[in-house]
Amino acid sequence: MLREEELKTFVEGTTNYFEVAAQQPATIGSPYLMEGAPAVHDYTGVISISGKREGVVYFTAPRAMLTVLLMKMQENDFSHETMRDLVGEVANTISGNARRDFGRDFVISVPSVLAGEKPAITQKPGQRSFIIPINWRSHSAKLIVSLT
Amino acid sequence: MKVAGADRNRRLITAGAGTALAVAMGLALLAGFRLATQIRSSITALQAASELQTYPGVISQQLTALRERLETREYTGQAHAELTGTVQRFNDDIQLLTKRRGGQSPQLQAAVQSWQAYTPVLAPVIAFSGEPYIDTDSGSSLSESGKMYYDNVRQAQLLAKQNVGVLHRLLTAVSGSLETQTSGAAARLRALLSGGVLAALALAAAAAYLQLTRAKHERAAREAQDQTRDILKTVREGFFLLDADYKIGSVWSEALTHIFSRNDFAGLSFEKLLEDRVPAATLATAVKYIKLLWGDRAHENLMKSINPLGQLEIVMDNGRGGKETRYLQFDFHRVVGPKGGVKHVLCSVGDITSNVLLAKELQEAQENANAQVDMMVGMLHVDPLQLGSFLDTTETGLQLINAILKEPARTDGEFRKKLGGLFRELHSIKGEASALNLMSIAHRVHQLEDMVSELKKRAEISGNDFLPMVLKLDDLLAHLRGVREMATRLSALKDPSPAADGGAARKGAQPGKAAGLARGRTGEDISPTLQALAEKLAKDHHKTFKLTLAGLADVPAPYVATVKDCVIQMLRNSAVHGIESSEARRALAKADVGAVRVDFHRSGDGYELVFEDDGAGISPQALKEAAVRKNFISAEEAASMDTRAAMALIFRPGFSTQEEVTMDAGRGVGMDVVARTVYGLGGKIGVSTNPGRFTRFKIVLPAAEAASSAVA
Repeated sequence: MLREEELKTFVEGTTNYFEVAAQQPATIGSPYLMEGAPAVHDYTGVISISGKREGVVYFTAPRAMLTVLLMKMQENDFSHETMRDLVGEVANTISGNARRDFGRDFVISVPSVLAGEKPAITQKPGQRSFIIPINWRSHSAKLIVSLT
Repeated sequence: MKVAGADRNRRLITAGAGTALAVAMGLALLAGFRLATQIRSSITALQAASELQTYPGVISQQLTALRERLETREYTGQAHAELTGTVQRFNDDIQLLTKRRGGQSPQLQAAVQSWQAYTPVLAPVIAFSGEPYIDTDSGSSLSESGKMYYDNVRQAQLLAKQNVGVLHRLLTAVSGSLETQTSGAAARLRALLSGGVLAALALAAAAAYLQLTRAKHERAAREAQDQTRDILKTVREGFFLLDADYKIGSVWSEALTHIFSRNDFAGLSFEKLLEDRVPAATLATAVKYIKLLWGDRAHENLMKSINPLGQLEIVMDNGRGGKETRYLQFDFHRVVGPKGGVKHVLCSVGDITSNVLLAKELQEAQENANAQVDMMVGMLHVDPLQLGSFLDTTETGLQLINAILKEPARTDGEFRKKLGGLFRELHSIKGEASALNLMSIAHRVHQLEDMVSELKKRAEISGNDFLPMVLKLDDLLAHLRGVREMATRLSALKDPSPAADGGAARKGAQPGKAAGLARGRTGEDISPTLQALAEKLAKDHHKTFKLTLAGLADVPAPYVATVKDCVIQMLRNSAVHGIESSEARRALAKADVGAVRVDFHRSGDGYELVFEDDGAGISPQALKEAAVRKNFISAEEAASMDTRAAMALIFRPGFSTQEEVTMDAGRGVGMDVVARTVYGLGGKIGVSTNPGRFTRFKIVLPAAEAASSAVA
């Protein structure tokens, strides 16, 4: 069973990114559970985890949210590539946080980025993902933790 | 330790011998110096004595020369002067010799006496001055004084002839004696010098031996030091010594550096080592414990048994910029000094994190195994259909809880709004789980209720606060799945026919659909469930009562769940608040065994459910006091409340007269759920009571068709 500290590590990795990159912290909404692969937004940054835990953690955000985030970061390029890079960066921060807190217990992959696609999730029967809404300004993204 | 003692003794002996030799050498040198001084003095004396030997002869010759000159009337001045000088030198030398060695030599004393006898004769000769001649016509002749002078010279010459041999012999003897003395002193000096040389050689040998021994010891010490360093470098525990000021010494094992991620331990106090890493209370206890270790009367084994740091949870840097929880085991041993007092305290620190985590995992696995066995035993007594119905209902309830959580929320108000709904659903599930004696589920739900309850008390809540809850919800769902799988297996064991196997198994596959069927099942008798719950409640709360059920088999399908939920809640209230203990009942002249009666029957177009117990009843005053205490109403409002309004307090969400939360009461969630459900079905609920006598709830429900439309 996933531990609270582990879940918090992923959440803090995500919210910290907003605080550092946009000097405006993100808050989390009410977390809930879901069986199967949840719907994703326009861009999704994925990290795969193996070792003590197996599965994926991904951050998925709508284009509108990423656009405002880029503007806050004084960025003028709102291209598809920049959006991809941005979610990749968020996923990278989540991964860094996990490495910092879990060390060798977790083998964490290099983040990959998907545009509009759902990451491939292999869940065991009865396994659920943790969906944590990430609220920033008026926008909302999702952090999905699907680990066994 | 013995080797070290022998080494110390050897060193002491070597140092003692060296010192003795050095002292002997010093004494020899001192004696040598004295002897040399003596020899020098003797040589001087010998020289003087040798010279003195010649003087009597010289004096005799000079007297003869003087006499001859007087007889030939030659000039006597020079001869007189030479005689005077010789006599004077002899006199001086003999006096000097006497002064130096007079007391030691009898010959010298005899020579001095002889000289002293001779001196008065010589004195007139020496004392003569002037011209001894007078010139006459016949030539020079001796004057009167000259004649006297001549007589004196002749007399002295005469005495000299007698004395010179004696004096010479005596003075020769003095010289011989002095020579003997000097030779003896020289021999002694040689012996001393030889001894000194031998002592110097012995000292050099001792120094060489000492040097060799020291080199050997230094090599051994270096080897021991290397070995100690290797041990301290290799050992997996952190080792260090604490002094009387509870400060760490200058040596520690390398593992300590890894354990604490620092290397500045020298002089660091034990308190500082753990400061900011453990709770203040734990630290204070640890420091007190270490102080106790310094007490002479403290028994080490006893102290070990009360070691507060046997398993210390500590938050540390993980070396990657983060923090991690580790478990350390501190062990303390007193190092006793040679005089018996405590010299140091040896501390060993081991990182037992993996052991502790493994033990926890094992314990969890054991608990899970036990819980599964308990669950299985409990399930054996539950009707499979009832169990399936419960699991479906519970799963539906948990899905509802998840749906409540899923509702978007950003503000405190929006988060807080979820809590009421969560509470009600959880309470309902817990009630049913308890009724079926499925305690592993009831406990998990109770923990979730605790979390919700804690959140309610907080001034502000956010999404972060729901993280533990969602984890617990996941755990509960996983547990339910396990229970369902077990139920399927048990069902297969009880009745291996495909039909029976299909019952629970199918439910496992389609929980949602089964839930709907459970709620709509007709003719389900909830009596066994309620009787089981009554027995459990009586046992848990040490009460004795008899539950009488009537008409429950006739409850229409749409009301089964509602009636069950309501009766469960009221039964729990009766067990906790209503029925008194047997002793109290006896004191009140009541029957020892309490009575709880449930009667369901048709009434007019609808139905009536009557729940009654012969317990303590409800005191409106107690209700008002509890409401004021819990800030539901003000004291003024309480004062103005009539009995009816006071009784209505029991249907308020969150109201309970009990201070302590237990599995069965205290949250104030229950009667409000009952009331809400009844009102939701279009029914009514009423309560009547007589304090000390009874409490009666009357629930009126509309016709079943009306209820179905109300639910729809």
